[in-house]
Amino acid sequence: MILSKSYYFNLFQVDTPLLDRLTEEGLRSGGSYCDLFFENTTYGSLLLRDGAVTSGGNHVDFGVGIRVLAGEKTGYAYSESTAPADMLSCARAAAQIASAPVDVNPYGTRNPSRGEPNPAADRYPIVQPWRGVPMSTFLPFLQKLEADIKRRDARIVKVIVNLAFQVTDVLMYNSSRELKWDTRPMGSVSVSAVFQQGSQTENKSTSRSFRRGADMLSVALIEEMAADVVKGIDERFDARRPKGGQMPVVMGAGASGILLHEAMGHAFEADFNRKGTSIFADKMGRQICPKGIQIIDDGTMQGNRGALNFDDEGIPGQKTYMVEDGVLTSYLHDRISAAHYGVKPTGNGRRESFRYAPIPRMRATYMESGNAKAEDLIASVKKGIYVDEFSNGQVQIGEGDFTFYVKAGYLIENGRLTMPVKDINIIGNGPQALADMQGVADDLAIDPGAWTCGKEQSVPVSCGIPTVLIGHLTVGGE
Amino acid sequence: MTDNKLHNTLTEEEVALARHCLEYALEHGAQGVRITLSKTLMNLIGVLNGEVDKTAHALDRSLQLQLFVDGRFGTFSSNRLEKDGMEEFIREAIDTVRMLEADESRALPAPDRLVKDAVTGRELDLYDDAYDTLTAEQRRDMALGSTAWPQPGLISEEGEYSDSVFDSLTIDSQGLYARHTETSFEIGYESTVEDAQGNHWSSYWWDASPRLKDLQLEGCAQKAFQRAKEQINPQNVKSGKYTLIVDSECAGKLLTPVLNALGGHSLQQKNSFLVDSLNQKVFPDNLTILDAPCTQGDTGCRLFDSEGVATREMPVIEKGVVKTYFLNTYISAKMGLDPTVEDITRAKLLPIGGCKTLEEVLQKVQDGILVTGFNGGNSNPATGNFSYGIEGFLIKGGKKVHPVREILMTGNFLTLWNNLLVTADDARPCQSKLIPTLAFKNVDISA
Repeated sequence: MILSKSYYFNLFQVDTPLLDRLTEEGLRSGGSYCDLFFENTTYGSLLLRDGAVTSGGNHVDFGVGIRVLAGEKTGYAYSESTAPADMLSCARAAAQIASAPVDVNPYGTRNPSRGEPNPAADRYPIVQPWRGVPMSTFLPFLQKLEADIKRRDARIVKVIVNLAFQVTDVLMYNSSRELKWDTRPMGSVSVSAVFQQGSQTENKSTSRSFRRGADMLSVALIEEMAADVVKGIDERFDARRPKGGQMPVVMGAGASGILLHEAMGHAFEADFNRKGTSIFADKMGRQICPKGIQIIDDGTMQGNRGALNFDDEGIPGQKTYMVEDGVLTSYLHDRISAAHYGVKPTGNGRRESFRYAPIPRMRATYMESGNAKAEDLIASVKKGIYVDEFSNGQVQIGEGDFTFYVKAGYLIENGRLTMPVKDINIIGNGPQALADMQGVADDLAIDPGAWTCGKEQSVPVSCGIPTVLIGHLTVGGE
Repeated sequence: MTDNKLHNTLTEEEVALARHCLEYALEHGAQGVRITLSKTLMNLIGVLNGEVDKTAHALDRSLQLQLFVDGRFGTFSSNRLEKDGMEEFIREAIDTVRMLEADESRALPAPDRLVKDAVTGRELDLYDDAYDTLTAEQRRDMALGSTAWPQPGLISEEGEYSDSVFDSLTIDSQGLYARHTETSFEIGYESTVEDAQGNHWSSYWWDASPRLKDLQLEGCAQKAFQRAKEQINPQNVKSGKYTLIVDSECAGKLLTPVLNALGGHSLQQKNSFLVDSLNQKVFPDNLTILDAPCTQGDTGCRLFDSEGVATREMPVIEKGVVKTYFLNTYISAKMGLDPTVEDITRAKLLPIGGCKTLEEVLQKVQDGILVTGFNGGNSNPATGNFSYGIEGFLIKGGKKVHPVREILMTGNFLTLWNNLLVTADDARPCQSKLIPTLAFKNVDISA
């Protein structure tokens, strides 16, 4: 949502002369670039436990972060007050990174965009706002969702439903006199249920998260999430650990996009490449996976958890092709890395809050559909595994080793899904897995879950993928 | 930078605001109130390849309110600590709580359980006065002083020195006054090396202490560099059952899910593999884990939990028997059990088997896999099943043979801990849990 400039100026008690004074103070010691990031976030939460919504609350986080760049070096300070004296003190602290003017200023006049934010191009218009609405408005949603879940399976003994929403106002200004503002909503619903069958206990969970207003709390969402949380529970009780080792892995469409996030996305973040640590540091322009594959990081999908009108450096949200026809074509850049490589920023400069300096981060990362059929990919595997439900992942940037934790899947035996499997970790190497991608189906799905990336700071992201077949990954087992 | 002496702990005005907010909430309809006011001052110097790359300076304040209104409960917080704004915030918060459903289990702790001896915040000797006189130049020197840059094969080195002072005050409408103040000094380095084939290998090392003089600055970057170099040329191992030695840098990861399973929130929701385990012997005779929260000068110690309830040294698992669940006032009421504390503060596993060092453990077990780091993985809280990516070394005859990586350990926590063979006595004081090197037999490895 993009409101009027005066709303943000009044909220943060600033005007253009004060903004200029702050950036001038930041550059007083010789820095080459200074930016200001004002933030006002209001959070709300409601928790249903044991059949009643008995816990909830609101939280406010307000402040300004001031960054000074001296070449590629960063000075950062923040204040929880926007009183001029406090902000000037903050600017002076950030300015200390510079001890003298730098010879070359790579930031000053690069493609200055002086246009004001355009409400018509808003990627998260709000129909029903979160703010200013009594909490009681949202209680029936939680109660109906719990009731719908419980009626679907008599084995359910516990249900927790959590609704969390936040609205963040940001105002950004820099020493190139670029001014941007934005109001970013985020609503997230998560459910966990515990099932008992005889002496066995199992849990299942699901989540949905969007940059949308309270209108996301629909009847359709209740039905979708209730169905999701009980789906596959019979298999979960029957599931076993497979015999571990290297084997082909078919990754189902949607949440398997965690593969792209961990195995490739982080290694494409340009700060790791600028510092020479990434395994992809010298692979720009090279064929890194089979022809026909496109891998994208996208901030333009309306209402998506990774959508951005502007990144946290004021660069417009955009769609970035990292891999085109199997060739590495772009890293994900913030202003520092873009200046280092002499390219335009890609709108990936993101931060958890005003307490953090921005760094290159993913938004919604996915692979475009291929030509194969999912069932044909499964049928082509003599002995392997099919996975489609995950919790977390991780990567080691230098080595390229990635892992993700599989909550549910199936063995593939002679081209057919057979025994359900659960609770296994899968490990592989990013460049090897990319090169070993043996088939891509035509069924791209973007996962709607509440994915959060934790590289130094937590930011909301999204991921997606069509069904893919990878020739060899190491699967945990007995 | 600002004048540390003036602003690094809570001021009288800030404490007065917290008291005012408590009174204001009571006057406007709350029957019970708990307030936690906290303040953190942090300085950071980042180093890249032997030069200062980043500086950061931060001051955070937050006031959290927990309101008990007409049998209902809500939690609220703000960092906008102006008096007028807080009053409006509290009025709206009370209105919000009234919209929630009633819950008879919500209550403040019984007064006799509240801490009485956390008045100055410095009772545990966790505040180092050296913080007050640190200069920007000294911080810079400490950050740069540890660098190992340049070295043959070292292609990237990132380091961070940071220090902070944290001060918090928790008060409630029953008269609770609980203060905790601590300083923290931390150094960390990550090194990436390149081998002859152009492959990259990374590792890290770090240290932290509440006292500056105890911070191990020297050798930190060098150790990260050595650990990275040791990873060059990994080789495969066969899948199968191995003795697993987990060094003290990462052993705590295998205890955390066990402690989580003893937490009231998991137990009450039946989402724990340790349901109905209280006073049951579910672990081996040789396993004893204490909560040691009150040790003077020890990292992570606290005299009270988030409700202001006094902590005390107590066995969590004693000779294999579960002795404690972690139950706050709310969860204990829902479960019909006596409350304990919200969570474990300072876990301490008592060493077994007589070994002092990792090397002695390796000699004792002779063959197996030494784990020096984890790469992802997770566990199922309801069943205790786990699967983790690991990296480390193949061990033969008590010696490292070659590095291993891209392998997985898979199993169940009850089985794993019942296969505990021996430990060292080398827990790292900087870690939040005092867990030494551990050795387990018969662990499934997939490679």
